[in-house]
Amino acid sequence: MKNRSSSRFFHAKLPYLLTLPIILLVALLVVYPITQAIWTSLTDKTLGAAVDEKINFVGLRNYNSLLHSSTFLASLRITTTYALLNVIFSVGAGLLTAILVNKKFKGRGGIRALMTAPWAFPDIASVIIFIWILNSAFGVIGILNQHLPFDTSGGWLTSSPYAFISIIVMSMWKTFPFYSIVFLAALQGVPEDLTEAATVDGAGPFQRFKTVTLPSIRPTFVLLALLAFIFAFRQFSMIYLTTGGGPERDTETLVLAVYNTAFKYYDLALSSAIGVVGLIFTFLIAVAFLALQSRAEKSNS
Amino acid sequence: MIFLVSLLVIFPLYWMLVTAVQAPEVTLRYPPVLYPIDPNIKGFHAIFIEKQMGQWLINSGFVAILTTILTSILSILGAYALSWFKWRGKMAFGLMLLFTQMLPEALIVIPIFKIYSNLHWTDSLATLSLIHAAFVIPVGVWILKPAFEGVPKEVNEAAQIDGCTPMGVLRKIIIPLCSPAILAVGVVAFFASWGEYLIAVTMISTEGKYPASVGLASTMSQLDTPIQTLLSGAIVYGLPPVILYMFIQRFVISGLTAGAIKG
Repeated sequence: MKNRSSSRFFHAKLPYLLTLPIILLVALLVVYPITQAIWTSLTDKTLGAAVDEKINFVGLRNYNSLLHSSTFLASLRITTTYALLNVIFSVGAGLLTAILVNKKFKGRGGIRALMTAPWAFPDIASVIIFIWILNSAFGVIGILNQHLPFDTSGGWLTSSPYAFISIIVMSMWKTFPFYSIVFLAALQGVPEDLTEAATVDGAGPFQRFKTVTLPSIRPTFVLLALLAFIFAFRQFSMIYLTTGGGPERDTETLVLAVYNTAFKYYDLALSSAIGVVGLIFTFLIAVAFLALQSRAEKSNS
Repeated sequence: MIFLVSLLVIFPLYWMLVTAVQAPEVTLRYPPVLYPIDPNIKGFHAIFIEKQMGQWLINSGFVAILTTILTSILSILGAYALSWFKWRGKMAFGLMLLFTQMLPEALIVIPIFKIYSNLHWTDSLATLSLIHAAFVIPVGVWILKPAFEGVPKEVNEAAQIDGCTPMGVLRKIIIPLCSPAILAVGVVAFFASWGEYLIAVTMISTEGKYPASVGLASTMSQLDTPIQTLLSGAIVYGLPPVILYMFIQRFVISGLTAGAIKG
């Protein structure tokens, strides 16, 4: 397929003309802003700086202060924890439910359609629902705090560690049904005769899963884990509008740190430096994604 | 078991529907009433009359339509270049798309705002759609590329013998044959823009120009807003994408998971 498609046309100029509008758009709205962020991160610019105020070049000073900032290091830890927990819980729940649905039963189509709902539901609308559900005085989950063995009286979104748990649960609600559908598609691609052969050989359900199912859905598994990681890393509005990064800065992931450092603490230069660190992360994730793709392609051919 | 899971998935949405039509004094009862008693639509009335929900939805629709048109056209051209041509820089182009797709907007929204201020492009719904398009085009290209590649070579050869130019092949053969995938790109672009909050709230400052995401978030931050009003807003804003996505889930899955950039 690959070879066939790439040799259809050879045309000296046309592909460049075709891609020119995208390249211009990305140059203006992605590449140029990135150069601006890098430049600002090397200065001492503040948000309130007047137009004629002199901005000094300070070299790597901002990066140096990041290295020694406990808030920044905490933010890195929060980002990683949030992303990894997303991968574990969302992808895990997606796989489990897919295995459950991967049988013929009445109403399966309906359940599959239903599973796309949270993914398609906009972030802001989801935030409104969860703020209501978690409301400590009247929320349907929030009022449970009277009956729990641990103290959640500080509020599900306003005290630690419940704020962090809440944003994990929200992200999980929003993503795992989608992962479940993707897993289901992969599970249905597992050859039936292989499973049958394993049964004939006396393999139990668990062994069948380990030796037949798991190897054939591994590429999907790795891909979804990476997607979940990216989703968590990019997530801004759901966290920002529920906890704002708080209480204290306990739910402030990297992307929130960029925003809060600029708009709450007015330190534009430091915010840009955090942004640049984020860009490096993005680059590494993209490279990981590529490596995965090429490995998957090799194993296919 | 699976029904229990579906129940957990659907409960927040169900609870939104119930509370939105529930009388305020019922929502404050303990233990919570799990079904509507004496339902009313005062919340819907309030979000449209006391707030500018109608205008906000129109604004969102306007931005989303522009984003959809732009994304569809540019993704078709980009996917055509990636799937049917051999050229230097193809790999770099794919890499650029992939990086853009994974980039958190929050990292560069401030420099984008500065650029827009200098161009006097802020507080405009039309220029907002440019940014939305830039971030959703990669997904569009990944949805279309495998579809374009699936068009049989023979069709193309026959067309060329008939004197079709490369652009003619795209227009007369590929686009008609791949229209379901193109439609999917349109839907994805529409709702990516429809759901976007951060860029919109940064760029748009006039309340009458708010897209629904920004309008609802600002209503939410006014602490005296009744929950029925907020949830009614969430329903009219959030349910259309849910219903449409159910129809196109197959394409969305392939687009989001197929970031292959090998040519």
